[in-house]
Order: sequence, then structure tokens, then C-alpha cells
Amino acid sequence: MFHGHSVTSSVSASSRTTEKMADVVNVGVNLDAFSHAISGIQALRSSVSRVFESLKDGMKNRETLEGREKQFIVEFQDNLQAVNRDLNELERLSGLVGRPSESHPLHNSGLLSLDPVQDKTPLYSQLLQAYKWSNKLQYHAGLASSLLNQQSLKRSANQMGASAKRRPKVQPSTLVLPPQYVDDVISRIGRMFPDMTIELFRPNGTSAVLLVTLGKVLKAIVVMRSLFIDRTVVRGFNENVYNDDGKLDIWTKSQYQVFQKVTDHATTALLHYQLPQMPDVVVRSFMTWLRSYIKLFQSSCQRCGRFLQDGLPPTWRDFRTLEAFHDTCRM
Amino acid sequence: MGVTCVCQVPVAEGKSVQQTVDILHKKLEQLGAVKQGSFCVDCETYHATGNVSGQPSKLLYVMHNSETPLSCLALFEGGPCLIADANFDVLMVKLKSHFQNAKGHKVECRGSRYRYCDFLIKVGTVTMSSSARGISVEVEYCPCVVPGDCWNLMKEFMQSFLGPSVPELPSVFAAKPEGLFAPADSVDTMTQYLELFNKLRKLQLPGSNVR
Repeated sequence: MFHGHSVTSSVSASSRTTEKMADVVNVGVNLDAFSHAISGIQALRSSVSRVFESLKDGMKNRETLEGREKQFIVEFQDNLQAVNRDLNELERLSGLVGRPSESHPLHNSGLLSLDPVQDKTPLYSQLLQAYKWSNKLQYHAGLASSLLNQQSLKRSANQMGASAKRRPKVQPSTLVLPPQYVDDVISRIGRMFPDMTIELFRPNGTSAVLLVTLGKVLKAIVVMRSLFIDRTVVRGFNENVYNDDGKLDIWTKSQYQVFQKVTDHATTALLHYQLPQMPDVVVRSFMTWLRSYIKLFQSSCQRCGRFLQDGLPPTWRDFRTLEAFHDTCRM
Repeated sequence: MGVTCVCQVPVAEGKSVQQTVDILHKKLEQLGAVKQGSFCVDCETYHATGNVSGQPSKLLYVMHNSETPLSCLALFEGGPCLIADANFDVLMVKLKSHFQNAKGHKVECRGSRYRYCDFLIKVGTVTMSSSARGISVEVEYCPCVVPGDCWNLMKEFMQSFLGPSVPELPSVFAAKPEGLFAPADSVDTMTQYLELFNKLRKLQLPGSNVR
């Protein structure tokens, strides 16, 4: 049984929503019968409470016991009949009230709007906001993905889950190259430049790790994945390249700030030089770029003309022209 | 372990040695250098005995550097040099008969050590028998091993805090052929210090016999 007050307020709320729906759909709810039914409920409640009250009061004072009993039974019967009458009335009225429209455009979520206490549980309005927001998000994500797909920036052969089903692309063959071919390419590149020596190691499986010694300036460790350059660490000529157990140390950063900067620039370079179909051209370009560091300590910055900026020589080499710039001076 | 240059800084006009050193410290700190403790370079002189009289006896210099605390360097000026561990001093005591210690000629250079980016700068006061004779500045550019490559870079750096009194390429490097790198030991540095000490020694005592 609803509390009388909340019933009326929910009636007013639903009547508001139903009035909005009235433009769209035939209102299957008879509002008059509805209010009559509510008063019928109230009448039923009062007659039931009268029954229990009379039971509670017990027999009234009369002269004889029989008289008392008779009086009690008569009263009780009257009350029960009143209950019966009210119940029948309510059943008749509820038949008149009718069913709410079956073609509910809001379905289950609309039911959330039917009995709210708007201040404490604004469920329906929050639900609407969340839905609008997720729609916008999906739209923007679609736009962004179409823009980003124009520029193919992928360095791996893994496809995204959805597209893998639509366009089953074969893994590019340049990712699975025989190690002998990789060795040949690297040795050819090594012979290209007289002041640069490249040694090839295979400490972990088939990935090659190159130790590039550039004159007496630096030593670079380049970790490859078939012919693609994965990672690089640049250290000074006098720094240790091997770790304690004699293997190449591919993780420790250089202890000198200048070579830490050069490592960052080299990482930028290996991301810049990309051509998935012709990886040997990429490796050649990267080595040419790296070779420009032979004059790391001798060159002055092309822009400001000085040797030092914050204690660092010009560490940036332009990707096209190989000119030296300070990190803060580059265009 | 990089390229080192040792030079002398003249005492500023009208100021004492200590004040000039303080000015240099302030300039370095303004540049952004961080003080990293102190350093000490000292040099003892020994004459070789047992020579034919009339010929000047050869002088053996035994030097220590706090940068390499477990070693000491023994060299003849312009001649061969030896790097030994710290027990060499004890050995010299045992060789008293062949090498005599010229006790009054011990030269010391003490001061603070600064680090700026990849540079190590040591500003020290050269003292001989507890009297200050001059100021030395040692600048080391650690990442580079070829002196010819980074000389211009170092000169620019020294100009930024020494001002006009920037030295020329040290003679130790000028003597080496182009492109040869400074070996990992400190011979070149100590040779430069020795030259500086001898210069300062001769300056203050023009008439004395350095035997």
C-alpha cells in the first residue's frame, strides 16, 4: 500500500510524463478513475483499520454478557462487510483505470523516471546525460581514428582486433628475415663508412645487437628486430660497454649528459627514419645520420655560432641536412 | 678521464690570492656549477745522487693527485714517467742513498672542486712552504678523449668564467700528433701541473739554486 502523499506526488510526476506522451500516444490511463481508485484505496484502508480497532477495543459495556457478545459480533460483521464493499469498489475502479500504454517508448529506462525523488536520486537525468556523453565520445573517436589512419605510423605487424577480421593482412615479410641476410646488410653498411665500425652480436635469440664505434667519439649500441631498429643507447668512447658477466650492457645510460642527450636524439631519429618496405634503406639512413656525430665536439651550432649552450655542445643533427644545432637552437 | 687543461690565473689587481679565488668561486656558482668537495695535488722533489760532479743532477718529481688517491706518479722533467701505487713513497724512503728528498721544495695545490654539466673544474691555491704562490685552475671535459677535438669548446667554457686570461693549447697536447687521444692515466694532467709548479717556483725565487 502506498503512503497517500507519495502516491499523489508520483501521480503528478507520471501525469507530467504522460501528458508529454499524450501528443505521441493515446493515453490509456483514465485520470478520473485513477483518482477515484485512490480514494477507494483510502476508504478500504480506513475500513480495515476500523475492523482492527473494534477488535482491539473488545466488547463494550452492556448489561448482560449475551448483549455484549451480540453487540460485538454485529459490529464486527458490519466492519467486515464495509471492507468487502470497499474492496469490490476498488476492483471495479481498477478495471476502469486501464493499463498504461504498451508501446512505451522509453522501455525499461523510462520506468526509472516514474518514481524518483529528484533531489536525492536523480537517476533518470544522470542516465540521459551519460547516454548523450557516450554517443558524443563514440562520434569523436570515429572521427579521430579516420584521421589517424591516414598516416600509417605503425611499426609492428599487429593489426587491431576489429580490422584483423575485415582485412586479414599477411604479416609483412620484412619482419621475418633470415639472420644471414641481416648480417650481410649490416656488414655492407659497415664497409660504407671508414671511420665507423659495426660489430654484430646475437646475445638473445635472433635479434641482432650492433656495437657501433664512431671514431674516438662515441659507442652506440643498437638493438634490432630483424632489420628494424628497435632501441639505441649512446655512450662515450671511454665508457664501459660490457657489463660484469662479459655481455653487452644494453640498458645502462651514459654517465655524461651530452651522451644522454645524443641517446634521446638517436631514439627520435630511429622513429623518424621509417620505410616498412625497405628496411635496409632505413638502416643506411640512420647510420649516415649517426656518422655526423664524428664532429660532435668540434662543431659549433649553426644557429647561434657558439660551442656550448648550458654546458652542452650542439647535440642535434638535422635529419635532412645533418647540420649541427644545440638542442635549444633547433628549428 | 677526459681532456684536462691546467692553467694559471693571475692574481687580480689589488686583491689577495684568497680574494681572487673567492671571485672565481662566485663566478662558477653563478654559471650553475655545483661544489663537490675539495682536491689536492702535491709534488715532492728528489735529487738523484751519485752523478758525476759538474753535471746538474737529475730531479725526480713524485706527485700525488686526490683524483687518483691510490696512485702516485714519478717523473723526470721531460723524461720518462712511472705510475705506481701509494706505497711508492715508502720505496723512495728506502732509496735514500740514491735519491735525496729536497724537503724545502714540496709544492702543494689545494682547493675546491666544482662540477658543471660534463665539466670538472678545480680552483686551487699553489703553496710552497706555506706561502701562497699563485692560483691554478684545472678544467676537465670528461666525455671527450681527443684533445684536438674539444679544445675550442673548452676555450669557450674557460672564457665564460676566467675572462680574458685564457691559455693556449697546452704544450703536452701540441706535441702529440693530431687525433691521438689522451690515455686513461693522468700523465698529461700531472705534467701540466709540474710545469705550472716549476714556473711558480722560479718566479718567486729568481736567484735561488733549485738543486
